[in-house]
Amino acid sequence: MSNIIRVANLVKIFRVSNRQPGWFGLVRNLISAEYREVRAVDGINFNLERGELVGYLGPNGAGKSTTLKILTGLLVPTSGEVQVDGYIPWKNRSAYVSRVGAVFGQRTTLWWDLPVIDSFDLLQPMYRIPPQRFRQNLKEFTEILELGPFLNTPVRSLSLGQRMRADLVAALMHDPPLLFLDEPTIGLDVVAKERIRQFIQYIHQKQSTTIILTTHDLSDVEKLCERVIILDLGKVLYDGSLSQLTARFEGNRTMVVTFAEDYRDINLPGVPLPQRQGERVVYTFDPRQISSSELVEQLLGRYRVADLELHRPEIGETIRRIYEEKLLHLK
Amino acid sequence: MQFFWRLVSVSFRQETTYRTAMWAGLATNLFFGLLKAALITALYAGKGEVNALSFGGAITFVGLTQALIAFHRLFGSTDLMTTVYSGQVATDLLRPVGLYPFWMARELGRSLFNLMGRGILYMVFFRMFFPLQFPCSLLQWMTFMISVSLAWFVSFSWNFLVNLVSFWTTDGRGVARIAYTLSQFLSGFIMPLALLPDWFSRLCSWTPFPAIVNTPVEVYLGMHHGSELIWLLVLQVVWFLVLAGVGHLVLQAGLRRLVIQGG
Amino acid sequence: MLRLLLIYIKLLSIQIRSQMQYRVSFLLEVISTALLNGMYFASLALVLERFGQIAGWKLGEIAFLAGMAETSFATMDMLFSGFDPDGFSPMVRLGRFDQILLRPINITLQVFGSRFIIRRLGRILEGVTILVISFALTDIQWTIGKMLYLPVVFISQVIAMGSLFVVGGTLIFWTVQPIEAVNIVTYGGTELMTYPMNIYPGWIQRFFTYVIPFVFMNFYPALYFLNKPDPLNFPSFAPFLSPFAALSMLLLAMVFWRFGINHYQSTGS
Repeated sequence: MSNIIRVANLVKIFRVSNRQPGWFGLVRNLISAEYREVRAVDGINFNLERGELVGYLGPNGAGKSTTLKILTGLLVPTSGEVQVDGYIPWKNRSAYVSRVGAVFGQRTTLWWDLPVIDSFDLLQPMYRIPPQRFRQNLKEFTEILELGPFLNTPVRSLSLGQRMRADLVAALMHDPPLLFLDEPTIGLDVVAKERIRQFIQYIHQKQSTTIILTTHDLSDVEKLCERVIILDLGKVLYDGSLSQLTARFEGNRTMVVTFAEDYRDINLPGVPLPQRQGERVVYTFDPRQISSSELVEQLLGRYRVADLELHRPEIGETIRRIYEEKLLHLK
Repeated sequence: MQFFWRLVSVSFRQETTYRTAMWAGLATNLFFGLLKAALITALYAGKGEVNALSFGGAITFVGLTQALIAFHRLFGSTDLMTTVYSGQVATDLLRPVGLYPFWMARELGRSLFNLMGRGILYMVFFRMFFPLQFPCSLLQWMTFMISVSLAWFVSFSWNFLVNLVSFWTTDGRGVARIAYTLSQFLSGFIMPLALLPDWFSRLCSWTPFPAIVNTPVEVYLGMHHGSELIWLLVLQVVWFLVLAGVGHLVLQAGLRRLVIQGG
Repeated sequence: MLRLLLIYIKLLSIQIRSQMQYRVSFLLEVISTALLNGMYFASLALVLERFGQIAGWKLGEIAFLAGMAETSFATMDMLFSGFDPDGFSPMVRLGRFDQILLRPINITLQVFGSRFIIRRLGRILEGVTILVISFALTDIQWTIGKMLYLPVVFISQVIAMGSLFVVGGTLIFWTVQPIEAVNIVTYGGTELMTYPMNIYPGWIQRFFTYVIPFVFMNFYPALYFLNKPDPLNFPSFAPFLSPFAALSMLLLAMVFWRFGINHYQSTGS
């Protein structure tokens, strides 16, 4: 079995107290506590093979961070089995954690007041990284992510993009076989995001690192992940390839045509009425009913076309609709 | 003027939401009050009176000073300093009242709540452990109330002045720590001035600090009469005016600096 | 376990370096802390001028109690700073404790190394000064036994007070905000130990004998060092209980701490 992660029937129930604010609430709570049960994770199953790069998606409150916390050993589940790289994450914490790298977009893993390089230096004895390997990784990662200019800057003075890059390097310095990325591109500009994505890809290819990526930026998912697991209300709604998901749920595409001549009748059979927008004509169509290539054939067969643009809905748009319209929920 | 009183009541109401902190403060003050009272008892060792301060008076002194901690903000506040460092002060300066009355209103609101929550309530709890003396005539009560109110103004003006260093240095808290320890030391808070050597209390009387703690408590205990009493009250007024006046001048200088620096 | 020690030292040196960045400012802070804390003792000394003694204890003898209590509290405050509820509360609230759980190093060691306030050195200086004054004013007959036992008492005080900090920090797992009661027994407890135990009402004496055994930490060892009679008629070995009391407090605190971590891991933040 080359499954590096096995999750079976994972359940995590939180007891949240219905506490009333203020002093009387506190006293009342001591006498008779009222609790509400929140099933953050309600029976999750999935397996990951070594070397997979999986997107772990879902709307807020879906149970993503809870699962991630369980997988990193921070949280003990209510029931179910978890095996990662042969370990049970919350048992044997120290041994397990040295096999894992983690980046949290919302907060840094480094020491706030220290220059970046000092933080890295601390990692070496902590993770027992052989000195030569440490120097090698440091050099390589620093070059690729261009950390050189701010290696001596304290972490608190870094820009968001710089901090994320440093965090990523810190997570990978000890060559972990597993990498958990929680919103690694949040708040970054387009150029910075692309850098981080490229680096993730580089590491993935070079080390065959198994990577779980949680993100709200769906272009991250599009560019990096072949497989996605979609979560909502603590359950897995979808576990499969991204392309199949879009094929199933993608909305209408649009084709924007600039005709060489001024045609009066621009309707096509089997295609909804197009709209004129100035000099251009926009056809909106369902790719399941007529494929893009068929539409192009028809257009070129009937008209002289000067220019053609095909727009697919952004993946973010598709996934947003899946969340909002609960397209994956069993009716 | 209306704005002033509105601020006072807003501040008062805000303070009532910190009920947990109030109880926590009461508990801490009570414990330290107990320790001090035990110390006083051991020191007096049966003596009825030392340097015109009776044993019962000394115990009451301990209770009353602890009760006044929150009212006077005896450990010093750095709230104004914080607004200077955060830049918030710029917004505050745009209000229809000057900075001094602005903070006075806010502090007054808090203090009025703490007078009850950590003042009167404290005395009630303290009474469960130790006997307390009370002023024996209406006149004494009234002079005490005048004295403790004047003490409040002195304390507030001192706190205000200390916070103004923030216009000149980034290490305002360091300076504040020194300033507030000094004022505690010289005010009679740590030990009643009557129990300290005479040369020391004479030294203290050259500073405004006894006016904050030692004077009002001794007035409460009825230790002063006639012209001596009047003199002490006048002294409180004088110190208030001095501190407020110096505060005003320093504030003007500080504001000029602020404007030049560009906020 | 040399590696762990090395990591701990590295963690501390981080903070020392960043706090000592501005030499002058740092020095001023240390000196001012020493002077400020010293003022409290100065007040007491001045009062004792008028009274001569407290419950049969003269200035030099009180200075022994005060010097020991101040030095050990300040040392404890420096070492156990990570557990100090005021420091540990933000750590849990802001998710930095999760970060600690994600590193392959002993959790407790990391918490110890997470906060080290070198400014406390000022209060240590003050405490040592008072202790030296005490030695000058009293004529302690120094035997080998006494010379060996003094550091033991000091370390016991640090450990005993430190256990309270550990308990206070552990409570944060449940309450997130610091609890004032902890401050009462730590700061208040130090104040309490500065004076002879027999000046306090019975119920306070009992509490600090059977619940938090502070009576064995400073008062009883002082009776031994200063050759003073025991006003409370405890067994004659009472002065030597300090290390045992301290270690049992530490043990209980550590058990509670472990319990707290397990609770944190089953309920999240």
